[in-house]
Amino acid sequence: MLRLLFPPRPVARPPSIRRDVVVLALDDGSTIDVLRVRDPRARRVRLSIDERGARLTLPSRASLVTGTRFLQQHRAWLVEQVRAHAANGLSALVPGVTCTLPLRDDWLALRWETGRYTCLARDGEGLLFRHTARAGHAALTRALRDFYEGEARADLGRWMPGYLPGLPRAPSRVAFKTMSSQWGSLAPDDGMVLDLALVLGRPSAFEYVLVHELCHLIRPDHSPAFWREVDARCPHWREERDYFRRDGRRLKTQLRTLLSARVA
Amino acid sequence: MFFRNLTLFRFPTTLDLSQLDDRLAEVPLKPVGPQDLSSRGFVSPFGPHAEALTHRVEDALWLTVGGEERLLPSVVVNDLLAKKLADIEQSQGRKPGARARRQMKEDLVHELLPRAFVRPLRTDAMLDLGNGLCIVDSSSRKSAEAVVSDIRHALGSFPAIPLNAEVAPRSVLTGWIAGESLPAGLSLGEECELKDADDRGAVVKCQRQDLQVEEIGHHLEAGKQVTRLALVLDDHVSFVLGDDLVVRKLKFLDGAIDQLEGTDNDDMRAELDARFALMSGEIKRLFAILEPALRLSRVDA
Repeated sequence: MLRLLFPPRPVARPPSIRRDVVVLALDDGSTIDVLRVRDPRARRVRLSIDERGARLTLPSRASLVTGTRFLQQHRAWLVEQVRAHAANGLSALVPGVTCTLPLRDDWLALRWETGRYTCLARDGEGLLFRHTARAGHAALTRALRDFYEGEARADLGRWMPGYLPGLPRAPSRVAFKTMSSQWGSLAPDDGMVLDLALVLGRPSAFEYVLVHELCHLIRPDHSPAFWREVDARCPHWREERDYFRRDGRRLKTQLRTLLSARVA
Repeated sequence: MFFRNLTLFRFPTTLDLSQLDDRLAEVPLKPVGPQDLSSRGFVSPFGPHAEALTHRVEDALWLTVGGEERLLPSVVVNDLLAKKLADIEQSQGRKPGARARRQMKEDLVHELLPRAFVRPLRTDAMLDLGNGLCIVDSSSRKSAEAVVSDIRHALGSFPAIPLNAEVAPRSVLTGWIAGESLPAGLSLGEECELKDADDRGAVVKCQRQDLQVEEIGHHLEAGKQVTRLALVLDDHVSFVLGDDLVVRKLKFLDGAIDQLEGTDNDDMRAELDARFALMSGEIKRLFAILEPALRLSRVDA
């Protein structure tokens, strides 16, 4: 009755987060893309970098000039961090320049060749990137993504049959995507998503993520009972978890760098 | 009865399906109730007057999921509701509140459902016990998964997973159109779809087109990839293979149909039996070619 007499005051919707990209020009002529995010929840100006790139966060009240000034003041730090991230692995894919590619915690030699269509395939011990003269960056990265997905599915095809018998049901589908922070997820309709970067790391870690997600078909939570199921199938899961804590960011950075549009 | 589309799933060949008939008989299609929106269950592949819920030819098993769905368009319900609300407003001088409107809508649905048309549905599936394949006659992933789910519900456990290609199907299809050798028995048809590598990029669809001409080569050179490709198997079967591994527009050509006409089938059941035998044989032959070409994973431990 009170609610009818005194209806709650309509709550004003918070202003939405706005994003754009600013290009920071360096002395050597190269540039760094910085994602500028105006976030009403932010309390102070913040510059950060992760596998997704550099990010400048601005509170609602801060002006764009303040942001630009802050970026210029911390330019040297940003350049150092970008170099450190790039040194972790690779630069973006460039025909004739990129000569090795990571796969299953190893580096494979890459050979470039022009052909009638664009595709990346195994060539003996190494890899052969066949591309057309007019193929753009999107075509190259699509071929790379397809190759990695094929390799990931080969691993999946090898491991999955061993785990199916002990499960109440099989996943309805398995998709590979570039995930920002997670390594895998299982939807309520039993659709599984795995991070494509898993194929760059050591195979035992990839297998652990698969086991982890398959065990969610038995227990859809992270209860002790769930971890007992994981432990029964993958006794070394703690080592794999430590591996992701130690090297996970590197793997995600490597994949993101290889698939990035800008030549670093 | 020939399947028009094939969505494939794999299951372990060691799976015990000896009780399949009994289990399917426990979940038959029941007529949709007066207050139900739909019902699903297994029916005989030979039609409503037959009893057998499966039909087996060698190691190919044919089963059918039937359904009944009541057609009650929301526009009809909303229109009646609007008229009713207008009457109330005119007679009482006020608009009913949200809760009252919701209740009125529920009452209307209850009133209209028993009078709604019932649409029958039917989806056929084939289990290839030798290869561990569940083949659903549908190009829709959702309805194919619903059939697998029905089989799982009947059996208690049915660990079938969608096909897993260990090489990108797009690369293989693009290679075939670009001049790489096709697997023995397969030849190019006259239809394809090419997509730009960019997710929101250009799409080119070709029909009744020779696929090995210069203009297709130009698209490949620009970086486009084949996402659907028409193929012909030994002048017996034509189909369109997608990069999602769904076989669409499956058509049995004269080369296959001629074999059928050679047999003398006087009743409908014998005719369907002969057609299923022919179809299952051709699908198994097609799979035997596609399995190594696309490096399709097995699910046997």
